[in-house]
Amino acid sequence: MYKNTGFISFVLRRFTGVFLVIYLAMHMFVIGSVNLGPAAFDARLALVQTNVFKILEIGLLAAVVYHAFDGVRLLMVHYFHLTNQRQSLFYAAFAIAALLTVAGGIPIILFAINGG
Amino acid sequence: MAETNTTQPLQTVIVRIQRFNPDVDKKAHMQDFKVEVPAGITLLETLELIKNKMDGTLTYQKSCRHAICGSCAMNVNGKNMLVCKVPLRDVAKNGKVEVRPLQYVPIIKDLVVDRTSFWEQYERAKPWLVPPEQMPEKEFRVSPEEVHALNEAQSCIMCGACYTACTVVAFNKKYYGPAAMLKAYMRVMDPRDTIPGERLKEVGSEDGVFKCHTIFNCIDACPKGLNPTQAIETLRKLAQRRAAFEAERAERLKTIAEPIKK
Repeated sequence: MYKNTGFISFVLRRFTGVFLVIYLAMHMFVIGSVNLGPAAFDARLALVQTNVFKILEIGLLAAVVYHAFDGVRLLMVHYFHLTNQRQSLFYAAFAIAALLTVAGGIPIILFAINGG
Repeated sequence: MAETNTTQPLQTVIVRIQRFNPDVDKKAHMQDFKVEVPAGITLLETLELIKNKMDGTLTYQKSCRHAICGSCAMNVNGKNMLVCKVPLRDVAKNGKVEVRPLQYVPIIKDLVVDRTSFWEQYERAKPWLVPPEQMPEKEFRVSPEEVHALNEAQSCIMCGACYTACTVVAFNKKYYGPAAMLKAYMRVMDPRDTIPGERLKEVGSEDGVFKCHTIFNCIDACPKGLNPTQAIETLRKLAQRRAAFEAERAERLKTIAEPIKK
């Protein structure tokens, strides 16, 4: 496969896209149980209150912000003729996503450690 | 080891070449050739040296040797390039260089590939000019700005480096590919052409501009430094405008025969 920053961004976009679809299905599985009564809802909610899911929440945050900023990057290329800045834009989108993941991930970890 | 008689400083390089003989091999394999060659030699000249002095069965394509025919496009260290244009010292990292045929198209033998799908898509894009019926007495007047816009697409040598670097092509051979769409862009922007609407309808179809994932491989692969992605983005905008206009018109046609409401 031909590898450069464009290919890396393409793979990440696909990967995060699939991850978000899986999350959405799980989200509906949990939230949808509200129609089955409070006990069913609590039971399903308890399934996703483990530390593993807390860590996965950081992954979810990373997927959301990367996917979003990669989309913004592509819109900028489309509307502002920025193909020559393709590598800089990829690094910028990646850096912003990483920064926001760290900024949002720390409270998630602290919340997981301290409980709540 | 192959050597050449020269006064230039020599460099020793291991050239790793992907080999495939359809009569013998079930799958491709890599073969190393250790060569001692002048420092300024091109990669194509190195391949010629290997063929002439080490292994006469090595098969590759070449013609003009001046980076204009596009026949010697190959994948070198993972990047597509014209081997007649690139000096060996620029690609021999740590004394090694890896040469493979262009990707995503069938291999005929060793470094020679079957470009049929590339040419099919090229023809599908109707790269020729469809001039008006009434020809001017002397000449078409095309502004310098319009000529400038067309120059880039006209510089394409159709080597297939962009097409065989495109990840979308890897998965979908019905996709037009960057080279064909660069040519379509050239004709859409050409003020002499009489069928830009038809062209936009074609490239706006399911195998066209909206299939591009904006991966930019085509720009990185082009040995002429062209920008097919920008051409595709421009065609996208124009195709969107055209589709919006067609949709509005279709809506209007639904009510055109209705009586005026009072």
